[in-house]
Amino acid sequence: MSRSFRVASLLAASSIRQGSLGVTLLIILILALVGLNLLFVPGLLGGLVSGANEKVIQTYTADIVVESRRESMLIRDVDRLISRIEAIRGVIAATPRIKLGAELSFDDERTGAVIYGIRPEREKRVFTIHQSLIEGSYLEPGDRDGILLGIQLAGADQPDIELYYRSLRRVHAGDRITVTYASGLEKKYIVRGVFHTEYIQTDLEAFVVEKELRAANPLPPDHAASIHVNIAPNADIRSIAAQIGSLRDDLKILTWEDYAGIVRSMTGSFTVIKAILNVVNLLVAGITIFIVTYIDVVNRRRQIGIQRAIGITPGSITLAYLMRATFYAVTGIIVASLAFKYLVVPLEARYPFHFPFGDVFLRAELWDMLRTALILLSTALAAAFIPVRAVMRVKILDAIWSS
Amino acid sequence: MYQVQELTKIYDMGKVKVKALEGVSFTVPDGDMLAIMGRSGSGKSTLLRQMGLLDQPTSGRILLDGREVSRLPERERAKLRLRHLGYVFQEYALLGELTAHQNVYLPGMMLGEADNYRERARELLELVGLGERINHYPKELSGGEQQRVAIARALINRPRVLLADEPCANLDTISSAMVMETLVRLNRELGVTVIFVSHDPDDRKYAQSVLVLSDGRIAQRSGQVK
Ligand SMILES: Nc1ncnc2c1ncn2[C@@H]1O[C@H](COP(=O)(O)OP(=O)(O)OP(=O)(O)O)[C@@H](O)[C@H]1O
Ligand SMILES: [Mg+2]
Repeated sequence: MSRSFRVASLLAASSIRQGSLGVTLLIILILALVGLNLLFVPGLLGGLVSGANEKVIQTYTADIVVESRRESMLIRDVDRLISRIEAIRGVIAATPRIKLGAELSFDDERTGAVIYGIRPEREKRVFTIHQSLIEGSYLEPGDRDGILLGIQLAGADQPDIELYYRSLRRVHAGDRITVTYASGLEKKYIVRGVFHTEYIQTDLEAFVVEKELRAANPLPPDHAASIHVNIAPNADIRSIAAQIGSLRDDLKILTWEDYAGIVRSMTGSFTVIKAILNVVNLLVAGITIFIVTYIDVVNRRRQIGIQRAIGITPGSITLAYLMRATFYAVTGIIVASLAFKYLVVPLEARYPFHFPFGDVFLRAELWDMLRTALILLSTALAAAFIPVRAVMRVKILDAIWSS
Repeated sequence: MYQVQELTKIYDMGKVKVKALEGVSFTVPDGDMLAIMGRSGSGKSTLLRQMGLLDQPTSGRILLDGREVSRLPERERAKLRLRHLGYVFQEYALLGELTAHQNVYLPGMMLGEADNYRERARELLELVGLGERINHYPKELSGGEQQRVAIARALINRPRVLLADEPCANLDTISSAMVMETLVRLNRELGVTVIFVSHDPDDRKYAQSVLVLSDGRIAQRSGQVK
């Protein structure tokens, strides 16, 4: 085995060294492009999913959502529960919300929405919505006349947003809108600010301070519809969720992943697209190596015949070709990985792709790179093996003495 | 000892069948220097290829030290070629991407019996008068020099038999003489059995035995060959 290996290395190394540099570079270039393609799709998908997940966590659910198991769907004794949650190690902050269905109207436009009663100071420690204001300012804790609108509700004269034609269309910070609660109560609010988080579900929300929602509607005191919990980046979400669950037995504990259904279905279709693109890519890589090896083998029929005639085993000769294919593939993979990590990813970070939940940044993950390397290498080896195998079947006599 | 018994080779070209050898029998004793001669097309190369185990005869047998070798599977024949037979082709048959030195030691590396094949290759190149050119590539060598590298390569695994098919066909008289004298020295000094093909009647002078082929049959034999 080691003899064959030594002979094959000698044959492979000298064929690369003595071969045309231009051709070698061209093969490596093609394989590098295929490698880039193989990295790009999972990179995009990875960026897409993690971008979407981040948006869900930072603007929609927080890390953990606490709801009630009770028939009223309301959590009781909220203030005490919150201080107990915040006492758990790894919890940064928790914020309670109450909510009511309502109809919003402005001029001739009307639209339905859920209005959340929030505690602004706590919200800021759990969500990043206050950083996504495109107009006006965030709610002040004592502000009983103000309302905060997501851009998909306000419209803000931006017809290119997804749900503009279902929105109030021309509402801006400072405008007065009318809110008709499900209870029948009608009230005018001044729009304090409009936010655009780029996550549609969030941008369909409207906020008033908790006190105001309670004053406008007969809601039981010290109750909440949900509590949203922000945990430290390296904290163990499962364990914290379990600890919260054990505080009381009338709580339903969900994590952000339970809400990420949209992302999941998106991931599903992208997996199919990815598979199709990968097959095409690998065909390109395989056919390239196949053609290169095939032409080479045809040109060297006589040389291979001579090698066999002087006693070099077919195994060694085949191994030499496989080694050469490995060299091309590995070099191509290295070039592709470097180009991806140091060229494509930074470039895309500067000019990101835009998706309904914000900008998507490509990610270069080690696992994807390794998998790509493995796939490309196996393809290259299989593609090199077929033509070499064919020429090994030819009789030595025909290989050496027939043209 | 090489024994060829009733060897017949028919090339099957589909419609046409070419009878290149017909019932050829002879025995070559160890240490002989045998010239196979005859007109073009008489079957010399065909005979040498059968003896070099590069092809299989249509019928008949070849025995090497009493062992039937022509019907062995290719793997076994490859081992015999590597270990016991050296073959020098009519056309220069060096590997273009390897240096003279690498060309010579490659079969030694393949056999892997001793680790000094590099050293031995150097000595063999000196033996054929190319000690100074070991790092040259075939394209940088003349035809005669290439043929001498091929002889050195054929000798790397200390074969018992060296088979050379018109080793001087493409060479001028001076180069031819050098190649032929190299073969003679190998035969005399190392005791290698040398079987060479030639169509130049002058080359009889290098041989101890002569076999003349005509239309695939032995027309004449002389010397130790029986
Ligand atoms: N591979 C082959 N396929 C078909 N016919 C062949 C093949 N090799 C040789 N022949 C035929 O067999 C006969 C003997 O050929 P061979 O090459 O053995 O002659 P030779 O004595 O070596 O001739 P030369 O001196 O020209 O080299 C010729 O008629 C030739 O055409
Ligand atoms: Mg011939």
